Amino acid sequence: MSQIEQLERRLERERRARKAAEAIAEEKTREIYETNVRLQQLNNQLEELVRQRTTELAAARDEAIRASQAKSDFLASMSHELRTPLNAIIGYSEILLEEAEDLVRPELRPDLEKIRGAGKHLLGLINDILDVSKIEAGKMDLFLENFDVAALLSDVSATVQPLIAKNSNVFEVHCDPDLGTAHSDQTKVRQILLNLLSNAAKFTKQGRIKLTARRPVRGDGGYLEFTVSDTGIGMTPTQVTGLFEAFSQADATITRNYGGTGLGLAITRHFCRMLGGDVTVTSEYGKGSTFTITIPGAFPKAAMEPHPSPPEECIAGTVLLLEDEYATRNALGQALTQEGYRIVAATSADDSLRLAREEKPDAIILDVINPELDGWTILRLLKTDLDVWDIPVILITALGDRDMGFALGAAEHLTKPINPKELLRLLARVKSAEAAPDVLIVDDDQATRDVLRRTLVKENWTVREAASGTEALQQLARATPAVMLLDLMMPGMDGFEVLRAVRQDATWRDIPVVIVTSKDLTTDELEWLRGHAMDVLQKGAYRRTELVAAVRAMVEAARSTSSRPVPT
Amino acid sequence: MKGIVFTEFLEMVENKFSPELTDTIIENAKLPSGGAYTAVGTYDHHELIKLVSCLSQETGISAAELTRSFGVYMFERFYVLFPKYFEGINSSFRFLELIHDYIHVEVRKLYPEAELPSFECDTSQPGRLRLTYRSTRPFAPLAEGLIRGCITHYKEAADIEIEDLSNGAGTAARFLITRRDRVP
Repeated sequence: MSQIEQLERRLERERRARKAAEAIAEEKTREIYETNVRLQQLNNQLEELVRQRTTELAAARDEAIRASQAKSDFLASMSHELRTPLNAIIGYSEILLEEAEDLVRPELRPDLEKIRGAGKHLLGLINDILDVSKIEAGKMDLFLENFDVAALLSDVSATVQPLIAKNSNVFEVHCDPDLGTAHSDQTKVRQILLNLLSNAAKFTKQGRIKLTARRPVRGDGGYLEFTVSDTGIGMTPTQVTGLFEAFSQADATITRNYGGTGLGLAITRHFCRMLGGDVTVTSEYGKGSTFTITIPGAFPKAAMEPHPSPPEECIAGTVLLLEDEYATRNALGQALTQEGYRIVAATSADDSLRLAREEKPDAIILDVINPELDGWTILRLLKTDLDVWDIPVILITALGDRDMGFALGAAEHLTKPINPKELLRLLARVKSAEAAPDVLIVDDDQATRDVLRRTLVKENWTVREAASGTEALQQLARATPAVMLLDLMMPGMDGFEVLRAVRQDATWRDIPVVIVTSKDLTTDELEWLRGHAMDVLQKGAYRRTELVAAVRAMVEAARSTSSRPVPT
Repeated sequence: MKGIVFTEFLEMVENKFSPELTDTIIENAKLPSGGAYTAVGTYDHHELIKLVSCLSQETGISAAELTRSFGVYMFERFYVLFPKYFEGINSSFRFLELIHDYIHVEVRKLYPEAELPSFECDTSQPGRLRLTYRSTRPFAPLAEGLIRGCITHYKEAADIEIEDLSNGAGTAARFLITRRDRVP
């Protein structure tokens, strides 16, 4: 066997091996190519599938949005449908309460109070549920405005006072003197505080409930810090967990013993967070709870400068203001200055008499609640001084002291929180008696019209009614009322259209319009209404006295713009 | 059987013996493939048995001994050809444990048709590995060679007890490997 033959065989084997390898490589290449083609097809199919699914998802999303819109519309209309009859129940019960008193049938009072209480309670629950629905739907809007924090707190305190007193609790309010102005949603801050305070009142008996407000300087603009603490039943750490979740109370026993929807704290926390803050709680079982709210103040406190006096020629009158509480003095001063009154303020008994003699004001506003001022003595002195005895005095009193005030010669009285419009009305009244104005009530709901009419007639106003927007315009064409009370949700021409028509007509343009509605207003609607109407009252959310005061103020305001008397 | 086993075997014969002897055993074996192997091809395993048998005849060394030696040789070749499979492995036991779960899994990705033997591992006793080889082919001695090559690669020392599980057919065997440096 020669070496050459061996090498030839080897070469031949190598060649065949190479060809086999090449064939395998070619086959593998083809396989890879075919696999790639299949992958490409698969990819195309997948892309097509993704496109289909995306279309389906978009359709499903659109459907969900439509369904959600339908749900929101339903809720909005339900809120209207539920609040309207409830408003009638509450309104009629209030009328009956007054009539029971007039007829000397005191035995009816407890039952009527129960009807009114139950109606208000139900309204509260409905409002809570609607609030939660709106929060969950992301439809809760903020309405930001500047407001005086101290005034808000005194308003809140006055509102919860009876509730706190019910369980024989002592109520303490500690506010920093320089809380100033906040730029936030006033209604929500009020609701937050009312929620926490009424909770404290509910879970505390013969104890102490404390509201404090501070403005610790933090960052630019600063923060407002409110605490609501009580010496009530308190909570265990387990009960505190999940306290702020919707539909949860400390435990089921609480629901049985104390009632409620368990939505209040959830709403409170949502509101706090919407406003850029938060709420926290510390609690000890059997000892009490403390809730702390922090919200951005957004605006630095208002300058404490004296109220600028209006130009001499448009002074509506001079008012001597005897009020030593800064916040109230500030709020009243602002409201009166805006209306053209010149304010003279006094903080001591000596000052009061001297200023009354020197300034000869058109009216004196005197706070007799505050013991430091000794308002009763001042009133007695004013009424026995030959120089000033005839100047009308409007008293700021606690409710029970009303009769004593009148006995001592006061012309009118007010209770805190003071509604500036009410004050203006009283001022106008003590200055000169006016003829009874006409009020036009526009509402499609007969019960609502009835309650409003009876309320207003009681105040000696003449009232006309319109059951629709069209009817309202007909009534307007017949005679121009001093004030129009206008519902928004009406079949056919709604309240918005009526208001638009009124504002476009030269003869009707200046009619003051008060919106009385149970519609859930959006921020845009509210904004528009505030620009076109004098006041917006939510059915069931206002007190009858407020409505009366608002109407009266409108009438007075309308008259004073047409023929404002200049003091001689 | 994958072509790489054949090409590596013939290369070993060329290196350890001679190109002439390689040619001789190929000629004597009368192989269907004619001995023209490529690493990427697949061939009947009987051809390897014939080649070993012819080499045994030419050298007087037993077929089993030749197969074992080829196993030791091939393990080191694997390390040269496929270093990626050795990454992160620092002992023979660890490598042997991973044959079934890692290396064979990777081989199947490239050659889905490959018929691979099974290697069951039992490591319940520290310092000992019980490895059971089962195959459709009689290559227990090749497995033994690979195991020895593995231990040598990691510069370890171990005793291997072999239990034949196939009555001399060579298709199944149990290797009880005891590391010397780990036993007290």
